[in-house]
Amino acid sequence: MIDVKHVTKRFGEGQTAVTALGDISLAIPEGSFFTLLGPSGCGKTTLLRLIAGFELPTEGEIALDGDSIGHLAPNNRPVNTVFQSYALFPHMSVARNVGFGLEMLKRPKAEIEATIHEMLELVQLGEFASRRVDQLSGGQQQRVALARALAPRPKVLLLDEPLSALDLKLRKGMQSELKRLQNETGITFVFVTHDQGEALAMSDQIAVMSAGAVRQVGTPEEIYTAPQSRFVADFIGDTNIVNATLLGFDGDKAKIRFGEGTPLTVQTASTSLTPGAVHVALRPETIDVVDEGSDRALLRGAVVDSTYFGAGSQMLVRLDDGVDVHVQVATSRAIGARVGLECDTSMLHVLED
Amino acid sequence: MSSATHIPPTDAATSLHAAQAARARQVRRTRLFLLAPALGIIGIFGLFPLSIALVYSLLEPGTYGGVEWVFSFDAYVQFLFERDIFDDTLAFNSAYLQIFGRSFGLAITTMIGTLMLGFPVAYFIAARPPEQRNFWLFAITLPFWTNLLIRTYSMLLIVRDEGFVNLMLMKIGIISEPLEMLYTDGAVLAGLIYSYLPFMILPIYASLEKFDFSLLEAGHDLYASRTQVFRHIIVPITRPGIIAGCVLVLIPALGAYITPELLGGGKKLMIGNLIALQFGSGRNWPFGAAAALILMAVVLIALLVSLRAGAPKEGGHG
Repeated sequence: MIDVKHVTKRFGEGQTAVTALGDISLAIPEGSFFTLLGPSGCGKTTLLRLIAGFELPTEGEIALDGDSIGHLAPNNRPVNTVFQSYALFPHMSVARNVGFGLEMLKRPKAEIEATIHEMLELVQLGEFASRRVDQLSGGQQQRVALARALAPRPKVLLLDEPLSALDLKLRKGMQSELKRLQNETGITFVFVTHDQGEALAMSDQIAVMSAGAVRQVGTPEEIYTAPQSRFVADFIGDTNIVNATLLGFDGDKAKIRFGEGTPLTVQTASTSLTPGAVHVALRPETIDVVDEGSDRALLRGAVVDSTYFGAGSQMLVRLDDGVDVHVQVATSRAIGARVGLECDTSMLHVLED
Repeated sequence: MSSATHIPPTDAATSLHAAQAARARQVRRTRLFLLAPALGIIGIFGLFPLSIALVYSLLEPGTYGGVEWVFSFDAYVQFLFERDIFDDTLAFNSAYLQIFGRSFGLAITTMIGTLMLGFPVAYFIAARPPEQRNFWLFAITLPFWTNLLIRTYSMLLIVRDEGFVNLMLMKIGIISEPLEMLYTDGAVLAGLIYSYLPFMILPIYASLEKFDFSLLEAGHDLYASRTQVFRHIIVPITRPGIIAGCVLVLIPALGAYITPELLGGGKKLMIGNLIALQFGSGRNWPFGAAAALILMAVVLIALLVSLRAGAPKEGGHG
């Protein structure tokens, strides 16, 4: 279990100081696949480097299983990293790369040999032990980097966008491979990525970050179906964000209405919002298209675009207030046609800004 | 029907073979033609003078310099033995070996000194942002713009009894009498290190420039201390640069002439001075040529041995 407590990281001094992380607190459960997700520059890599020990926090504390590690040098932390550029030692064979950590820990030779063998089998590179690293393909180098970081059996494995240099097909393969490795070893994985699809597919928990702050922590399902803020809703998948009026609260639900329509009771990210104009998240796959005049229609607009993708069509509907909404339908309507949009009100979600 | 179809298969094979041979001959000729300038330069400026030196070393000295065209092995004998002027017997004489030994000692110390100073400097430059590196490289190569002789004379002005260093030290009151620095081995060593430092820095910089500094983080991450990262990662990867720097410093330092002459006051002979002396006032050209060839042979052998020993050994755990 990693406990990040009120960590702030500033680079530079005085006037020119840049705050990369501002007072972040985060609990990463032991043995989980935990993803730090956010756009570039959001501070996710800085947080990873703080856990690894390449940077020291300006303020705050990082604890691993209760022991404070925030100020230890990287070589004194039971934490290993898979680097974005792999950073394999070019002057060593694959086997020596994998055994380097154990060699530095002065483990017995027999144990090192056995672990190298075991790790290379684990990443399916058994026959490459004596190769030089520059004789390997990108995907193979990736596996060597993984084996090297796993060999010392760290308590935590940090992965800094390790799949970004691979092509799409390899990336898909490595995603399930990483998931398998995490299950087999039981080591806590902290995975940094800007790819929301990757994060949803692999993680036990996701922390969505932006501008040096954690915006939301939750399981992929929570993040996807119940985004708290407009930023998270926008960042995860192609959500539609529409305007509504907040009328008040009913317990932990919100009462809203679209335009002059009937009041609806829906889920909300917060019960401390001020009544008035709010944004509501609406996933494309939860929307049904009905006739404009239907009394089930919650929103009304005109079809402006339609794209056929085999299993159905994706339509773009421009609402009367000018907001564009993506809708997935089995049969598309003609461009220019007026339509009504209906959706399961339990899937609507009021957002914080 | 074309005539080609009538040619039996064996004839076709023969003509094909002939065409290939002609083509190969032409390729060989072109290659030789393109190599000619390089071969010519190596021949004229490398092999030809060396052959002259070899021939001269096997002749007898002329009374007023030059050589007598009489075959003799005396020059090589003289290197190790002294001929008694009365009974012509040979007695072992280590004077020239001592000169060789002193020169090697000084050259190796120079090499170690430039390595100790040069590596951190090269590392410093390589760790700068790319746009700043050129400035530092320019600063390193700046002394080359001035003649070595002038730089050595300036050095002489700095370290002599009434020189800058002594005046400063006496002004501050650390010493009352000037320190005798000029015409010591220390002065020669300082002069050699100063002269050859760039030859150490530049090749090491070249090997560090391509160095991926994330490897240092990877090393630390895998439980290596700073010393271990230096030993197991930085040194092996920059080894080619270190070897090149050592060779580039050691060889010219061995034959250095101006620096020991000016800063050492010619009090203790170095190989370079010994050889120069033979062609000058010593009037023993064969001996000078022999000494030069012996030096070259020793350097070549030392170089081959050290390169073989320093070749990367990649066994791994495989």
